[in-house]
Amino acid sequence: MLSSAYVRSNERHESARQFFGLIRALVVRELTSRYRRSMLGPAWAVLQPLFYMVIFTFIRQVLGISSGKTPYVIFTYSALVPWTFFANAVTRCGVSFYVNRGIVQKMSMPREVFPLAEVVTSLFDFLIASVILAGMMIWFRVPVGLSLLWLPVLVFIVSALAMGIGLGVAAIGTYKRDIVFGMPFLMQFWLLATPIMYTLEKVPEKWQFVYRLNPMVGIVEGFRSVLIDGTAPDGGLLMISFAGVAVVWAVTWPLFRYVGQYFADVL
Amino acid sequence: MSEDVVIRIEGMWKRYGLPIVPALRRGWRALRGRGPGDEDAWVLRDVNLEVRRGETLGIIGRNGAGKSTMLKVLAGVTPPTRGRVEVRGRIFPMIELNAGVHPELTGRENVHLLGAVMGLGRREVRAKLPAIENFCELGEWFDKPVRMYSSGMLARLGFAVAINVDSDIIMVDEVFAVGDLSFQNKCLASLKDLWEAGKTILFVSHSLDALQYLTRRGIVLDEGVVVADGAPAEMLNRYEERVFRSIRESKGSQGFRRRVTTGQVSIESARVVDMAGQTREQIAAGEPFGIEVVFRVARRLEQPLVTLSITNAAGVICTWNLSVEDGLELPSFSGRECVRLWFDEGMRFANGYYEINFGLRSAANFETLDRVTGLTGFQVVGPGRARGILSPPCHWEWRQAK
Repeated sequence: MLSSAYVRSNERHESARQFFGLIRALVVRELTSRYRRSMLGPAWAVLQPLFYMVIFTFIRQVLGISSGKTPYVIFTYSALVPWTFFANAVTRCGVSFYVNRGIVQKMSMPREVFPLAEVVTSLFDFLIASVILAGMMIWFRVPVGLSLLWLPVLVFIVSALAMGIGLGVAAIGTYKRDIVFGMPFLMQFWLLATPIMYTLEKVPEKWQFVYRLNPMVGIVEGFRSVLIDGTAPDGGLLMISFAGVAVVWAVTWPLFRYVGQYFADVL
Repeated sequence: MSEDVVIRIEGMWKRYGLPIVPALRRGWRALRGRGPGDEDAWVLRDVNLEVRRGETLGIIGRNGAGKSTMLKVLAGVTPPTRGRVEVRGRIFPMIELNAGVHPELTGRENVHLLGAVMGLGRREVRAKLPAIENFCELGEWFDKPVRMYSSGMLARLGFAVAINVDSDIIMVDEVFAVGDLSFQNKCLASLKDLWEAGKTILFVSHSLDALQYLTRRGIVLDEGVVVADGAPAEMLNRYEERVFRSIRESKGSQGFRRRVTTGQVSIESARVVDMAGQTREQIAAGEPFGIEVVFRVARRLEQPLVTLSITNAAGVICTWNLSVEDGLELPSFSGRECVRLWFDEGMRFANGYYEINFGLRSAANFETLDRVTGLTGFQVVGPGRARGILSPPCHWEWRQAK
């Protein structure tokens, strides 16, 4: 195999500016254009978790799921908000190159721009959904304290996980669309394999170890501890989540970097 | 590399897609006991090229010759499969200038996005916004959603942003295909300004006029190979000659380039003849010549109409003749027929390559039985370099104006 190389000189200082400028422009484009022809507009960001909340509240009565002393509505919604952010960010990353194929085929730029812009855009929806959550917390008189300082850590870790998995989905999905078609189904499964509808304690003892390997467990439980219980997240669970993020990035990022060079060839 | 060279391509090969895919395919074929497979998937083969600072290079070639791929590799959008590509300075591709445009956003909003895509900072875009608005001449449309734009308006928007990007090497790929003539001239003039400011320009075009206006050097790409390198006018001749040759070669198997047929007509031969009836591929400007087509019709055809037209290499229809209008009332056809169309003395085509197109219709029910473009071709050779469509007898006059 003969080697190949593409070398470009005196560009280094410009690419960082281009990177952030483009992320900004893509996020602005998405946020300003998305609801321009919709009636409900940004309310869509709230409808998805609210919808699940209603369904889960119904199922809970059928199955007799207990949420302890916490009102079930806030128990499930506080987990659904970060979950919806995660699921949407991953799904959007998967199609980000297809959506922006015009740009990818034309200009050379770090490929991470597109998934990152999707994660940032999803963060705005996350913010909107959080406003409702804050409203609920006031309504149910949930006491809050200094544990809220953990929130940036949790938001960072869920964003990093979403981006890491999103890189993998984009890397494969840009070549073969199957993974993109399979995403809704996969996310549905993952939603049920995460303690959102039910409590972590409900999971049978023999499954606990395997179950906790899901990095979303630590994240969702972390959000609950910080928001509802007013305590710091469980250290062990959080470490598993961190390790999960590291493993995901170690696998998907190199893969993404390698196949990403050829995205323009297949779009 | 020498201080002056801004682009150097050494032994560059390009094939699309992941490099491991063809390797896997070869392995699979070997496992199944078949020989090595398709080596013809290469889009570019062993390209070697050097471009110096301030040079203007025209790239000429047929569709699928690898022109756009070459620009993409130079832009760094797709990596070369083999070989080495070096680019010195900032390179900007003026290709598909509307990449990323969102139809629901207004022209003004899209300018910010286009600017970011093309590498302009936010402050730069804001500072240049009046100039951009002025250049694209959209008026009140500038604040309307882009989905309402015509393709020409969209092209103007993209070009107005692109012209403000400060880069050292500019690559242009037929962005002038849309937009009206006055805007095309405006674009050409802006490109010339950039060239005069010392920028390097790579220009893909088939328009001799544009090439001669903007470039001092040309290369011809054919099936991924650089086959010629030299003065633009000479390169254009080489290109037309290659297209012409390939039409003649593909003719043998009745494989006409574009044919619409009912299958009831088979064309046996088509040639250009001189007054003595000899087959000619080349005629002198002003020399009388005829086009002869021999064909067979499978059924009886009442009131047949024959059309013969000549197009030049740029695809412009130069002549279009209909048998009945030239006074030829044909009897019914039912066998092997031979028609000739004569161009008498005084019919002076300009120098270049021409293609002949043939059509056979029935005037009774307007049914088209056969329609072939690129049936055969010929070259017109005359004194001088002048081109165009016609070279009618004419003379120049000069006097000092009072």
